[in-house]
Amino acid sequence: MSGHEETGNTTPGRWQGLSPLSVWANTAGGALVIVPIAIAVTVTFALTPMDWWWALLPVPSAVLFVAAATYVDLLRLRRIRYRVTDERMEMRSGLIAKAHRSIPRERVRSVDVAAPLYARAFGLCTVTVGTGESAGTGGADQLQLQFVTREQGEGLRRDLLQRGPAPGSADEDGGEGAVEEGEEELARLDPRWFAYAPATGATIGIGFGVLATLAGINAQMGGRGWEWLSQWLGLPSGAEIGAFILAQLLLLVPLTLFALLLLGVAVTLAVAVETWWDYRLARQEDGTVRLTRGLLTSVSLSVEGRRLNGVALREPFVLRSVGGAEIRAVATGLSAGDEQKTAAKSRLSPAMPGRKARALAATLLRTSDSPFSPAPRVHPRAALRRRFTRAGIATLGAVAAAGALTWVHVQVRQAWAGTLSSVEVDVMAVPLTTGTAEAAPVWGWFAAAALFGVVAFWYAVGSYRGLGHGVHPRHLVVRRGMAVRTTVALERSAVIGWRVTRSPFQRRLGLADVSATTAAGEGLYTAADVGLGQGVAWAEEAVPELLAPFVERVDDEGGDGSEEGRSVLP
Amino acid sequence: MSSDALRLRPPRHRVDRRAIRWWTTRSLVTAAAATAVPGVAAVLVEPARFWLLLATAVAGLAGLAVTVVMPQWRYRVHRWEVTDTAVYTSSGWLWQEWRVAPMSRIQTVDTERGPLQRTFGLSSVTVTTASAAGPIEISGLAHELATEVVDQLTETTESTPGDAT
Repeated sequence: MSGHEETGNTTPGRWQGLSPLSVWANTAGGALVIVPIAIAVTVTFALTPMDWWWALLPVPSAVLFVAAATYVDLLRLRRIRYRVTDERMEMRSGLIAKAHRSIPRERVRSVDVAAPLYARAFGLCTVTVGTGESAGTGGADQLQLQFVTREQGEGLRRDLLQRGPAPGSADEDGGEGAVEEGEEELARLDPRWFAYAPATGATIGIGFGVLATLAGINAQMGGRGWEWLSQWLGLPSGAEIGAFILAQLLLLVPLTLFALLLLGVAVTLAVAVETWWDYRLARQEDGTVRLTRGLLTSVSLSVEGRRLNGVALREPFVLRSVGGAEIRAVATGLSAGDEQKTAAKSRLSPAMPGRKARALAATLLRTSDSPFSPAPRVHPRAALRRRFTRAGIATLGAVAAAGALTWVHVQVRQAWAGTLSSVEVDVMAVPLTTGTAEAAPVWGWFAAAALFGVVAFWYAVGSYRGLGHGVHPRHLVVRRGMAVRTTVALERSAVIGWRVTRSPFQRRLGLADVSATTAAGEGLYTAADVGLGQGVAWAEEAVPELLAPFVERVDDEGGDGSEEGRSVLP
Repeated sequence: MSSDALRLRPPRHRVDRRAIRWWTTRSLVTAAAATAVPGVAAVLVEPARFWLLLATAVAGLAGLAVTVVMPQWRYRVHRWEVTDTAVYTSSGWLWQEWRVAPMSRIQTVDTERGPLQRTFGLSSVTVTTASAAGPIEISGLAHELATEVVDQLTETTESTPGDAT
């Protein structure tokens, strides 16, 4: 077990170490983050009226910190050993507390190979092995090797999901994006799809975030950044600009929004290109689905075909209104720490045309017709009534808030005007709020509340229309959501139980939330606000033998509840 | 589909009657704690005494109401049933929940006895599946019965094939 063996292939049974280069990759990665921060802090210190020697501190301490981290990393690296035998994958680690983790190979559900830019420079990658065990308890069900050489990573990816005898000849190098034998390509990046990237509700928000960050930095430097910039560009002073802005408010507000939009589009496009460049989805001979993508951080994710229990078609509102959609996997062994990371990991496609996304879903699930094609059953009217009630309550809240804001508005105009505008001039050089408060009418808040009410009721209708559930020959389908409409097709054989919940309001209206529980994906897929009878009928149809002993028929109801979507009172 | 409406029938068995006393005690403890916080503050903080006393009264009344209503209500809702093929439970009071899990998907079965449950001779049975929806819990069973249920479940799950995912 010496640390000097450098192997490209995974010989069964032999203990191997991580790549010795990984220490330097970690150092590079850490330095990439810390050194720029240290430089920024130095510049800030130099600009602020502090003693000059403060400016000497950040960079040396950052270097010291990186060096210490490198040393610890060096010690850690020497202790980590892993091996893959016919039955198990094992890993030993730990400086002080020794850990020995062992995963039966039949439990391996996914292999994720990622190479961030700084690791790629060293020819390294991270391998994360996911198992279906202890689903839901963050991170404990996976094993991570950080870093191994790219050849080792490729070898592990190929071998670990392969059932049967020893992982033999893993020597031939697949290389990046190379087509392996017997592979069926399911999807490949069409650069036109990037046009869908800015179609998120966050685009303006992101632009605003960038501006707010700049304003924040400016405020922290005591306004020096702005002074420097305006001198450099020969801009007039903040006060003059402020006066100009307030004079041209009607022209400038739309212009600003447009600029924010452009900024947001640039950021979202950049993120999409970095994430989805070189995107390719393929199914290998043994059924494993393999995703490769990424410009700077190249990612390769393999999911065992048997563990891909379904797909989710995700249509956020803005994307949906331009006819786009994206596909996510519903698979066991993809959980990674928290929910957000899991969601990021289960993405199987970028935003793409809805029709193509549906076709891709069908291919992924190996069905000839789209699993989403059977017309979803309509939920009872009572579900709409519930949503109207919520919208009504939200509107009342908005009216109350409008009242409070009107009061604040009057105060800003009179009592607080002086202090507030001076603070604003400090922070962003323009007294925007106070200026707007002067210009805008006080009744505007109530107009906004009325508008909010209209939107709330429109949202309620959309949310009701989004509800749906159905049964496909091999899958059960649920759909819900207005802001983000998600349609999930889950293999009927992957259902491992049912949960029915009813709030007091739902009981009064004869509604229920009927959820299929499963080991895959989010673990719980819900037909929200179905009629109780309708929901039970659906569950029984989807998994016939499970619920049957616990279901009874109610004859005295008279109505043919289920198919018409009429509610069934208990 | 036929013109009949479907619904879930209640599971066959009620939980132990002693569970009512257990829930009452538990609720009393919570209510006492919730009342004590503003109550103690009212004694210590002179200027806001009126509002703190008001908060104490509201917390006390609400706690008392829950303590009177909840245990009886729960006793009517909480039911369980173990068949050869599945575990079926209902629980809750205002918000109610029904759960079904097939034997072939059960991963582990445990009993649990908290100190409070032990004083009433009760146990909870927890049935875990691979789902993130959380385990199925049958709480408020007589201790001997809980042990029996666990034995039966263990036996059945062991004879049922499948890797539970």
